[in-house]
Amino acid sequence: MSAPLLELDGIDVFYGDVQVLHGLSFTVREGEIVTLLGSNGAGKTTTLRAISGLRPPRRGDIRLRGESLLHLPAAARSDRGIAVVPEGRELWGQLTVRENLELGAYGRRSRGAARRNLARVLELFPRLAERSRQLAGSLSGGEQQMCAIGRALMSEPRLLMLDEPSLGLAPVVVDQVMEVVAGLHRGGVTILLVEQNLRKALEIADRGLVVETGRVRLEGTAAELAADPRIRAAYLGL
Amino acid sequence: MARLLDLAISAVLLAGLYATMAYGLGLVYGVLRVVNLAHGGVIMAGAYLGWVLHGRLRLDPYLSIPLVLVATYAFGALLYRGLVRHLPRGAAGGPASLLLLFGVWLVLRNAAYLLFTGDDQAIRTSYSTHAVPFLGTWVSVNRLAVLGIALVIPVALHLLLHRTYLGKAIRAAAQNAESCTLVGVDVERVYTVTFGLGTALAGLAGVLSATLFAFNPASGAGELLKSFVVVVLGGLGSVVGTAVAALILATVEVFAILVLPSYLTAAVGFVMLVIVLVVRPGGLFGQRVLG
Repeated sequence: MSAPLLELDGIDVFYGDVQVLHGLSFTVREGEIVTLLGSNGAGKTTTLRAISGLRPPRRGDIRLRGESLLHLPAAARSDRGIAVVPEGRELWGQLTVRENLELGAYGRRSRGAARRNLARVLELFPRLAERSRQLAGSLSGGEQQMCAIGRALMSEPRLLMLDEPSLGLAPVVVDQVMEVVAGLHRGGVTILLVEQNLRKALEIADRGLVVETGRVRLEGTAAELAADPRIRAAYLGL
Repeated sequence: MARLLDLAISAVLLAGLYATMAYGLGLVYGVLRVVNLAHGGVIMAGAYLGWVLHGRLRLDPYLSIPLVLVATYAFGALLYRGLVRHLPRGAAGGPASLLLLFGVWLVLRNAAYLLFTGDDQAIRTSYSTHAVPFLGTWVSVNRLAVLGIALVIPVALHLLLHRTYLGKAIRAAAQNAESCTLVGVDVERVYTVTFGLGTALAGLAGVLSATLFAFNPASGAGELLKSFVVVVLGGLGSVVGTAVAALILATVEVFAILVLPSYLTAAVGFVMLVIVLVVRPGGLFGQRVLG
């Protein structure tokens, strides 16, 4: 078994007085693709925000390769190898596709390799190469998702976190996005995937965690979860 | 004919000054959603700074520009770090930052009264009245120099915003600050730089106009209002749009002299503002945020 890359150790996260995560703990190992499942409001997005530093926990610890991240401001975490594809993509719509990608390599560590990584991303997504001078806001939903993934890859992350990458996309495009994510995983990137589309997520994931009201309820390999009668009843409607 | 050419040159010159002022105001509003009411005060302060450097240290006003830029940049950056940063922004925070920055303007104005009295001043150099032939008429060296600098500013600003990582981060922060944080941009630093930059442009406009026009501690109010007109006409964020809007305002103002009594020419810009707000609320060139 490979070494742990990301460890969440009993984190409590609040929005104002409302506690969203209750002692949430889990581990993602190097090279794994883990999916975070659960219904709306379960705390999946909040978990990603805690890891990226946008919503720091009040208690507990978050470690990357054994080192606590809590003292690091959010803006310093991309240099540690954490990249996020946020829910709704959150591109800079009035900047060109190319500028969106270039800013993905803003961090001190990644700037030197920006040119090489831009070539790599444009090779991975030929559509973005064709549209590199267009405003990101003018892209279709699927293309925007590719652009957001490309932006995240510009920093050569160790850990790539994706929040609902299939949201609002046509089924054909969802398949393409999932294929891209699976391809990145085969290429060695460790992935934490938040997804409502449980069936698709379990197809490509190694392991899954089911989050309910801010706690991990179930944990298992993708195959175990897909066969679990509770999951089949609650999420797959079988 | 010569008179028309004179007026045209005056219009372009004035447009350069208006554009320089408006870039500063538009940049700060576009990125931080803060209307910098202290802008007029800094224009006035820039004029006095150039005047003091010229009067006391015998420094040529054009050579003092780097010093004025550094001083007003630092003032803007400190103003952001010390005060503006702690206030709510956008629609909800409008009144708080408006009042605060209006207060800063009053402090600057009264400090100027205290230090320099209310008398009119101007920066007069040995070459202030020297004129050279230009397109068949005579133009003062001074006005040509101001024009040259005013033409360099938009080019420099465009290059900064489009060719550097910092500039791209400034434009990105105007659209989605959280995404900036996620890719490693220290957004507070971007805000500090932006506020400093906007303030420095006000200082520059101040020292440039001080070589052409008389000023006193109450100066800056008219300049602030004209900056508003240009920002609204040009739409937010487009460097070219701002330049065109400044040219329109200056041309209309200058040529209004031919047809209107002089006491009405100052109102021309505001009539334009009202018309544009009613007819095209997004500005003549549409509303883009630092695109």
